[in-house]
Amino acid sequence: MVSKTEETQLNSLENQVDNGGGGAWEYLCLVRKLKVRRSDKVFKYGLSILNDPKKRSALGPEEWTLYEQVAIAALDCQCLDVTKDCIKVLQKKFPESKRVGRLNGMLLEAKGSWAEAEKAYSSLLEDNSLDQVIHKRRVAMAKAQGNISEAIELLNKYLEIFMADHDAWRELADIYVSLQMYKQAAFCYEELILSQPTVPLYHLAYADVLYTLGGLENLQTAKKYYASTIDLTGGKNTRAPFGICLCTSAIAQVSKGRNREDKESPELQSLAATALEKDYKQRAADKLGLLTSALRSMKF
Amino acid sequence: MAEDLVLDTAIRDWVLIPLSVVMVLIGILRYFVSKLMLSSQVPDPKIVKEGQVIVRARNLRAAANFIPPKSFRSRRVYFSNEENGLLFVPKGQAQNPQAQMFSDPNMAMDMMKKNLSMIIPQTLTFAWVNFFFSGFVAAKIPFPLTQRFRSMLQNGIDLSSVDVSYVSSRSWYFLNLFGLRGLFSLILGEENATDDTQRMMQMSGFGFDPSKSLGAEKDGLDILQHEWALPKFEHRAEAMLKKLIR
Repeated sequence: MVSKTEETQLNSLENQVDNGGGGAWEYLCLVRKLKVRRSDKVFKYGLSILNDPKKRSALGPEEWTLYEQVAIAALDCQCLDVTKDCIKVLQKKFPESKRVGRLNGMLLEAKGSWAEAEKAYSSLLEDNSLDQVIHKRRVAMAKAQGNISEAIELLNKYLEIFMADHDAWRELADIYVSLQMYKQAAFCYEELILSQPTVPLYHLAYADVLYTLGGLENLQTAKKYYASTIDLTGGKNTRAPFGICLCTSAIAQVSKGRNREDKESPELQSLAATALEKDYKQRAADKLGLLTSALRSMKF
Repeated sequence: MAEDLVLDTAIRDWVLIPLSVVMVLIGILRYFVSKLMLSSQVPDPKIVKEGQVIVRARNLRAAANFIPPKSFRSRRVYFSNEENGLLFVPKGQAQNPQAQMFSDPNMAMDMMKKNLSMIIPQTLTFAWVNFFFSGFVAAKIPFPLTQRFRSMLQNGIDLSSVDVSYVSSRSWYFLNLFGLRGLFSLILGEENATDDTQRMMQMSGFGFDPSKSLGAEKDGLDILQHEWALPKFEHRAEAMLKKLIR
C-alpha cells in the first residue's frame, strides 16, 4: 500500500511533469517502485524518452527496465505495435530471458489469443514452477475470459503454496464477494487482517461482509469492526459511522423479541449519527436533509 | 621491558600497505568471480511452502487478537492438527538436515562452490604472508595486551622479551581480514561474496532446518491465549467520536 507521503510525492511529480517541468525519469522510477498503475502517463513520457536517442543513452543499463515498463503500459493503453517493438528490442538484447517470455505472454493475452498465451505461460512454468508472477497472470487470464470458477481454483492452488501473499488473498476476497460467497470472503478478509492488522480498509471490508451475512452474532461482530475502523482512521472514515448506525438498528430489529441489551456501548449509535451530521454539514450541506431523514428512520 | 622499539618506516611502506592493497584487490576479484559463477538456484517448492507457512503462522500469532475467537480457534486447529496440520511434523520424519544436504547434489555443489571461493584465497594469502612477511615485528598495537596473546600475535618473532604489543604481520593479515568487510560493503554495495565472517557463522549452524522452526511455531501457537481486542475498540471509538463532535 502506498503511504501518504509517497502519494503526495507522486502527485507533485506528476504535476511537475504534466506542466512541462521535466523530471520524467524520476516520475517513472517512482511509479515503478510504488507499483501504481498510471499507464497513460508512463506510456506518454516513457515513449518520449525512448524515442530520443540522446536521452536513451543517458539512461545506461536502466534503459531495458524502461523498455519493459513502457511495454506493459502500452499493453494497458492497447497500443500493441509499440509493445511489439519494445519486446523485439528486448529480445535482441536478452534472448532466452524469462522476463521477455513473460512480456510475450502478456502481449498474446492482450491480443486475445488465450490458448497461445496459456501455452506460453505453461512452458515458462515448466522451467520454474515457483514463479509467482506467472501464476498470477494465469489467474488474471482466467478472470478476463470470464471463467471465474477456474480463476478461483487457480488462485486457491497458488495460495496453498504462497500463503503469505496478501495481494492474492485480497484478490480472492474480491472474487468471492462478487460471487456472493460471503463466508469464504470473510475468511480471506480475516487472513488480510491477520497479516496487516492496522490497515483500516480490511476492517471495513470485513465488517461489510459480516453485516451482509446477517445473524445476531455477525451483526455484533460487524459493529465492533466498524468501531475499530473509526478508531484506526481517527474518525475520518464516513462509511464506518453509517455502518454502526445500520448495525445497531439491525441488531435491535433482530433481537426485538429477546431481552438482550447491548450493554457495551449504548451511546455509540447516537454518537455516530451526530458525527455524521457534523461531517455532512461541513462537506455536503445540501445532502444534510437526506441524511437526517435516513437516520431518523433508522432509530425507531 | 617498556622500551620503545623504533620500527623502520620501510616496514610500513613495504609490508602493511601492500598487504592491505593485496587483500582489497583479492576481495574485489572474488566478488566478480562469484558473480560469474552465480548459478540460478531453482528453489525447492517444499522449502518455499514451509517458509510461507511459517510466515502465515507468525502473522496468526502476532495479530490473533484482532479476529474473532471462533476464527482463531479454527485456524489454530488447521495449523496444529495432529493428523494433517500444517505445522505438525511427526517425530520420525524430522530429517537430519545434514543428510538431506549431502543427498541433494545441487545443494552440495552450491555449498562446495561457496566454501571453495572462500577457503582458497584465504589459504593462499595466508601462506604468502607467512612465507614472505614472517620473522620481524610489523606493527605496534596502541593498547597494552596480556601475555596470553603472545603465541597468537607474535608468531614469527622468537624473542620472548619483546612487548606483546609488537605484533607480526600475520596479525595484520587477520586484522585486515575482519576489518575490510566494512570497506567492501561501501565499495561493492551490500551482498558481496567477501562476507566471510557471516559465512563462517552460517557454517556452524548447518543449513536451513525447517522442521525445528515449524515445531517452534506450533508450540508458540498452542500456548497462545486468545484475547479478543475488538470490544476494547468499541469504547475507543466512542471516545474518539465524542472528541470529534465537541
